[in-house]
Amino acid sequence: MSTRLYPLYQKGNPQLRVFLSNFWMKLVRPEHKQPPNVVQFHCSMEMTRYDIKNYLEKIYNVKSTQVNTRIVLGKTREEPGKGYVIKDDDYKVAYVVLPKDEKFEFPNLFPESAEKEKLDHDKALDEVRKNHQKYLEKNSDRPGLPGWFSF
Amino acid sequence: MSLAVSNRNFFLKLQLLKYGRLYATSLSSVEDEYTQTPQYPEIVDLAPFEVKKQDAQDYYETIKAVKTVEEKQIKLNMPKYYGFKCFMLHENAIPYNNLNLTQYLTKTHLIENNQLPIVCPTMEHVNLEALKRDVEDVLILAHEGYCKNASVKDSNLTEEESQNAMSSIISQQIHRAILLNLHVNYPHLEAVQTDIDPRIESCWFSGGIPSNREHECAVTERKDKAVQYVGVPTLTVRSEVPLSPIISFDEAKSTNFNIPNCEYQPQSFGVFTTHRRIVNVPGFWPGDPYQFGLLAYHYRGHILRRRFKDPVEHQEALHRQGILAGFGWLNAQANFLGFSTYNDITYPLVTQCVVTNGKMWSFYAYQLNTILMHLKYIEDNSKVNICWGSKELKLYEEIQNGKVIGFNEDVLKMLVSFYTNVPRERSGVELRPFLGDQEKVIADLQDDERREWLEKEYKFITSNRPRHYLPYEIYHWEKIYKIDHKKRPMDARRRPFELFINPWDRTYNSRKPRYIPRKHRPDVKRHVGRDAKEYFP
Repeated sequence: MSTRLYPLYQKGNPQLRVFLSNFWMKLVRPEHKQPPNVVQFHCSMEMTRYDIKNYLEKIYNVKSTQVNTRIVLGKTREEPGKGYVIKDDDYKVAYVVLPKDEKFEFPNLFPESAEKEKLDHDKALDEVRKNHQKYLEKNSDRPGLPGWFSF
Repeated sequence: MSLAVSNRNFFLKLQLLKYGRLYATSLSSVEDEYTQTPQYPEIVDLAPFEVKKQDAQDYYETIKAVKTVEEKQIKLNMPKYYGFKCFMLHENAIPYNNLNLTQYLTKTHLIENNQLPIVCPTMEHVNLEALKRDVEDVLILAHEGYCKNASVKDSNLTEEESQNAMSSIISQQIHRAILLNLHVNYPHLEAVQTDIDPRIESCWFSGGIPSNREHECAVTERKDKAVQYVGVPTLTVRSEVPLSPIISFDEAKSTNFNIPNCEYQPQSFGVFTTHRRIVNVPGFWPGDPYQFGLLAYHYRGHILRRRFKDPVEHQEALHRQGILAGFGWLNAQANFLGFSTYNDITYPLVTQCVVTNGKMWSFYAYQLNTILMHLKYIEDNSKVNICWGSKELKLYEEIQNGKVIGFNEDVLKMLVSFYTNVPRERSGVELRPFLGDQEKVIADLQDDERREWLEKEYKFITSNRPRHYLPYEIYHWEKIYKIDHKKRPMDARRRPFELFINPWDRTYNSRKPRYIPRKHRPDVKRHVGRDAKEYFP
């Protein structure tokens, strides 16, 4: 479903426009312990259970047996220094039940090996940065001389 | 003056006489105080968890001590004014993948077997040929006669409703045909009661079910949760004496029976909660002499609504219906016999159920061995309920041109064996051990006022009608501006959450009694006798 207005036809416009859907679904880590065949999503507020079922089936070819949804009240907080209360938007949570012989495990998005690789990379970069700084500081007490000039 | 003084002395003496007795010791009891061996009071474990357990046990004993059926049911409802938070198990709305949860909640071991254990001693007393002809007539008439009937063919009816209307007609007529054919050789069938579309509701407490916060807790630390079953059979048959048990109590303790665990909260399986009063209704009111269920026919139109297209799951859904049909009905019957979810049955109860739409038949025999499912007994109670269930079977292939094609006699034999299973007196078993000797139901009470009051209260509880005033709720603006952010310090604190009161803990009797108008009161002072008397057990 798209809420975008179909623009008024002007001569020369393309005849049929197809707009992308407003619907979105975000896979989230389950808040509480769930059976292995239950997957939790946040999704756009307008989606009904049937929309969710079709969305998963038509786009991702994921068959679901049952879909339960609920709407969560957005969090409230006080604006610091101002004193008034601000409320975040409400959001819809969908629990999608897959056939019972299927299992879904929420992926580990930040595996340890990747983390380590990143750390190594950062370390090397730091080293280069430090050397460069040293190189620049060599002639810092002799203003006007280029960096490559040395004894 | 002297008169006044002497009067005062007189009253002093009277006072002394009255209270002096409290300090007096009787001479004779001095010797009785001592015994040969010292007698100490029982040593009680004073750990907080143990004290809680003991308190709970005391509460169970108070329920056991109540004499009549209705008062027991009122007593069960006493802790909650707005009813308990119950997990609802509806017979005609089966969520996906629900069998394991059901088995856990009812503590049932399922034996899937097309040979049910109901002993069918001799079929020789049954004229199967004649019966078959009658049943075929019933089927043909239902399909070619009633099918054209407006009540079945109404285009406004959903597929489910029209199938249920058909199965209601067929099960009633088959029941009639079987009774007519068998009653000569099986006289117990002459003394049965038949109910059409009775109401069956049953409630119990189950332990070990995790809530959101209790996933990490040990099973024994999880709180008990109420479970309410609502059944809608099309026809039930009951008698004055119970069916014989299939296995003994000792066999029911065997370790061969396995009950699946409950690792996740029931909401993950589509079973949700609502606030309801505890209701146990087995399709009749207390005082009916026909208290033991023989056979129940159940609808299966709701299966049409399920679109999961999984044959294994479909069979499991039927088993779930069969298990709940057996357990729900027997638990309600047990409550009418004076047992309750806190006081276990002292003898096994047996019933038989059929789930049918006229063509497809599933047979279930259920033996109830225990109704203690709550926390305290989750480990102590090794007894298990047992359900024998058949796969779904076809009675016939189809009906064409006024003829039944492919009639399956084995299915008819199974149905007949349910009727030929003779209920018998249990020798040496007291059927209602926890009810009073004279007063078993409130109809036995002599005090008119008390009886009428109890009747009214009991019927109100079982009706599950909402209260006149809406139940308590915290409004959104209150949550935001009063609870989450203290933005209204000058408001008077009158709401329960500001007074540290939990309104859901309100007990059933915390309410004003009925007001008696002045003209109905005897001639006493104005403020006396305004409240009607209440008889809470």
